[in-house]
Amino acid sequence: MRRAKLLARLALRNVRRQTRRSILTASAMVLGVAVLVFSRALGDGAHEDWIDQGVRLGKGHIAIQHPRFQQSRHLDDRLTPRALALAERALAEPDIAARVTAVAPRLEIQGLANSATGAIPVFVTGVDPEIEAGFSKLGDRVVEGRYLEDGDRLHAFVGQRLAERLDLELDSRLVLTGQDATGEIAGQFVRVVGIFRTGLPEADEGIVHIPLRTAQEWLQVGGAVTTLAVLVASGWDMPAVLDDLDAALAEDASEVAALGWREAMPELDAAIRIDDYGDYLFHLILFVIVGLAIVNTVLMSVLYRTREFGVLRALGLTKGETAGVVFGEGVLLTLVSGLLGMVVGFAFTWVFFRNGLDYSGLLDSEFTISGILLEPVIVPIFRMVQVFQSLGSIVVIGVLASLYPAYRATRIDVAEAMKFEA
Amino acid sequence: MSEQRVVAVRTDRVWKVFEHDGIAVDAVRDVSLEIQRGEFVVLAGPSGSGKTTLLNLLGGLTAPTRGAVWIDGQELTAMKERQRARLRLERVGFVFQAYNLLPVLTALENAEFSLLLRGVPAEERKRKVQELFQRIGIGGLEDRRPSKLSGGQQQRVAVARAVVGEPALVLADEPTANLDSASSIALLDVMTTLNEDLGTTFVFATHDQRLMERARRLIRLVDGAVESDTRRPSTKGA
Repeated sequence: MRRAKLLARLALRNVRRQTRRSILTASAMVLGVAVLVFSRALGDGAHEDWIDQGVRLGKGHIAIQHPRFQQSRHLDDRLTPRALALAERALAEPDIAARVTAVAPRLEIQGLANSATGAIPVFVTGVDPEIEAGFSKLGDRVVEGRYLEDGDRLHAFVGQRLAERLDLELDSRLVLTGQDATGEIAGQFVRVVGIFRTGLPEADEGIVHIPLRTAQEWLQVGGAVTTLAVLVASGWDMPAVLDDLDAALAEDASEVAALGWREAMPELDAAIRIDDYGDYLFHLILFVIVGLAIVNTVLMSVLYRTREFGVLRALGLTKGETAGVVFGEGVLLTLVSGLLGMVVGFAFTWVFFRNGLDYSGLLDSEFTISGILLEPVIVPIFRMVQVFQSLGSIVVIGVLASLYPAYRATRIDVAEAMKFEA
Repeated sequence: MSEQRVVAVRTDRVWKVFEHDGIAVDAVRDVSLEIQRGEFVVLAGPSGSGKTTLLNLLGGLTAPTRGAVWIDGQELTAMKERQRARLRLERVGFVFQAYNLLPVLTALENAEFSLLLRGVPAEERKRKVQELFQRIGIGGLEDRRPSKLSGGQQQRVAVARAVVGEPALVLADEPTANLDSASSIALLDVMTTLNEDLGTTFVFATHDQRLMERARRLIRLVDGAVESDTRRPSTKGA
């Protein structure tokens, strides 16, 4: 123990001895870790936003559907009354309900929107207006009229691009056609009650919302829906809620299944993974550079102090203990500067960007990723996993960057070291 | 009552061969020595005669190419690195030409280094070092870093570091080479006193004529081999 304390004292004093060199190296580490913390907070914030936008416009964090519906998109693969009851019971379980913020029933069908001007393929969704208003938030993007309301019956909420192409205005008549539950092509007359614009061409041209009851009658499905779209309180909770739902729905797995957004929106999942890989690559390069700076400093320190290490060995330190002094210096330098970098990174992100980083000035038009329109403001997110990632990175760099100089210290020939000129 | 003779260090037909660019150079050739506890021995000889290499062999800082070395009856050459380190810590003290104090430690911390490694309690370490510092004329300098000490003072701290643990053997390589005349004489007085009063065994490698004159045993080396090994009576009380 006394030896360990002595070695630690030597390491600490040696770090302090070359103040300027230590500060310069520590600065690289502080900057590197601060950038890591900042970019992780922004990256996680951006991904949370992507996911939030994506799941709201899509099928939620979790879609409860017939197992085949994701592929077939056919009304035959709607949720049976038994499956729907099972899903509603599962969602009502206290442990699951506590983490779920909204459940939107939907009846989805691919069909045609027809006007006197022409016909365009669309994705018609029968929705509960009140629930849906807080879910997809399409109502926030109204450019004319309003979103659907309770009591609406033969009304439709359409995208601006669709309105333009079909020459529709508020109160214009529109006929939706699609294959009903009996397999027949059926038409449904509706009037435009509101027009929205997301900036996303696919959505502005291809999405039509109508009241759920109207869709059920038109398609002759009784009270059935194709999807229960589920929002959870935090995207990070999704895997756990999905597991719980999977377990709760297992008794009728052939009729109903829970699908996470990663499966429901593989393009978005891929986009986030690619972005993450890009971040990891950037961090790796950053830390290789910082690590090399630390290797350089500690190694220079070893070469500069060859005779000193010779003396330590002559006085009775083993090779391992001599390496321990060097290793301790490297790890100490890395840990102290790394922890300082974490503080700087969190503080900088919190002070300057807690309300979001607005990059709208850099964009000429809307920014979309995998069919999702993104807000031009990234609000950073702080999570404990970032702290652990940063700490892990610091420890790994400290250990790796100190290993080689420590090894070099063990290779010093004591007799040769004593010849070394001061 | 006969004086009991205890061997501090012994070598048996020791060779040290260095290779430079494929050419073998015999730095030490077939040296067999026996140095008793309490001796004050000088290894003398021209540059390149093998003094420093022999000193390093005696202290276990370098391994012989052939032959064997014993310190306090323990064969160095048969030991593992960790055991050699332990032996150096407990049985050997070193004094180097360039002092080689650890610059980040104070004079007291430098001097107590080996005691600390040996697990001697702090109080006892401090007492021993302070007593020794008083004896060798550097009392009051305990808290100074080496950079705040003169060359002579630094070398005295180095001597204190070497002898404080009461080793079987103190090896000193050109200890006066970097000192002015007055500091050299003062240092030699210190080491002579330590030898005579405490019985510390000193083995020096040196060119310094003043040191050779104080030696009670002078071993002359030429081309790595012992040319002569002469003893003189003690000068104590002279």
